[in-house]
Amino acid sequence: MTEALYEAFVSIGWWEILVTMCNTLITFLIIKKFLYKPVRKMLAARTEEVESMYSTAEKAQSEAEQMRSEYTERLSKAKEEAAEIVGSATRRAAERSDEILRESSQQASAMVKKAERVIEQERIKAHKELKDEVADLSVMIASKIVERDVKPEDHERFIEDFIDKVG
Amino acid sequence: MNVEINGPKILGYLFGNTNLPITETMRNSWIIMAFILFLCIFLTHRMQKIPKGKQALAEKAVLMIDGLVESTMGEGCQAFSPYIMTLMMSSLFGSLASLFWMRSTTADLNTTLGWAIITFVLITFNKIKYGGIKGYLKGFLEPIFVMAPLNVLSEIATPVSMSFRHFGNMAGGLVITTLIMGALKVLSNAVLGFLPDNIALLQIGLPGVLSLYFDCFTACMQAFIFSMLTMAYVGDARNS
Repeated sequence: MTEALYEAFVSIGWWEILVTMCNTLITFLIIKKFLYKPVRKMLAARTEEVESMYSTAEKAQSEAEQMRSEYTERLSKAKEEAAEIVGSATRRAAERSDEILRESSQQASAMVKKAERVIEQERIKAHKELKDEVADLSVMIASKIVERDVKPEDHERFIEDFIDKVG
Repeated sequence: MNVEINGPKILGYLFGNTNLPITETMRNSWIIMAFILFLCIFLTHRMQKIPKGKQALAEKAVLMIDGLVESTMGEGCQAFSPYIMTLMMSSLFGSLASLFWMRSTTADLNTTLGWAIITFVLITFNKIKYGGIKGYLKGFLEPIFVMAPLNVLSEIATPVSMSFRHFGNMAGGLVITTLIMGALKVLSNAVLGFLPDNIALLQIGLPGVLSLYFDCFTACMQAFIFSMLTMAYVGDARNS
């Protein structure tokens, strides 16, 4: 068995340093390729995913906001419409009731006028009849009193005057 | 008895050339590279959008290094993150290899010096890239031209101090642990002489506690310090 050979405890050899540098370079490449590349890729993918999630959420929120405003608008429009419908109905009803009232009052007044006219006619008629009767009666009474035939034609004017004065 | 503290064992020679030895450090670093490769593939295997267990660990590690790089070097330096991760992992696992019956790769000056030279190249490259070749050369004459030799010295001192700091810490731990193991063996033989010669009962216990500091704590510390210094120097070179 040959005796083991050792390097000096503190030694500098360019060959050894060169080997160290090559080893370091290879280790660097290993770490870059097998540790940094996949980790960086994964981190980038995660960042991208989070960003896309955020943008999706933002989009959904803006959409919801838009829908909300739309609904609010629609609701207010519907309220307006309802108010309009109610208002127009009320107006029409008022108009109609006014019309009905006017018509009925017109009818009533026409009826009253007609009735007044009839009453007047009746009154005139009655008056005339009464007058005729009174005239006949007066002529009769006078003829009784005078005991002679008083010609109604002769005294017509006189009697008329009398009746007018009396009644 | 003798206590021997050696450099890394020479396992063989590439093409039979004695100038190209294959050392224990190289073998161990290859094992560690294989481990790192396995770890990376394992941690990022079957990744999902919702992280779970090992995937969360991988993401956490990457984001942590990213955060460190950003806070130390400034914005837009994420390209350095894999290199810092490489330094951290190589250094940490290289130092912790001693827990698995292997000689720490960082207890070899060639390893730490190699990393420090890469860092030095990065520093110089970034200084020239962001300050121009004129600005780089002018930087040596500040604050006055007399300081030029000192500036050159401090420039060279950067990789030297970085590599020796890391190497010294790990090698120091190795030396102290080896010495204590030897001393405990002697003590054990003297006190408990009735036991067979190769059973040193007192070696149980104390070395384990010391190993917590010299292997685990120092390994983490030095990996962190080396990476932080690299980030600080390169970031400084970019911003000046």
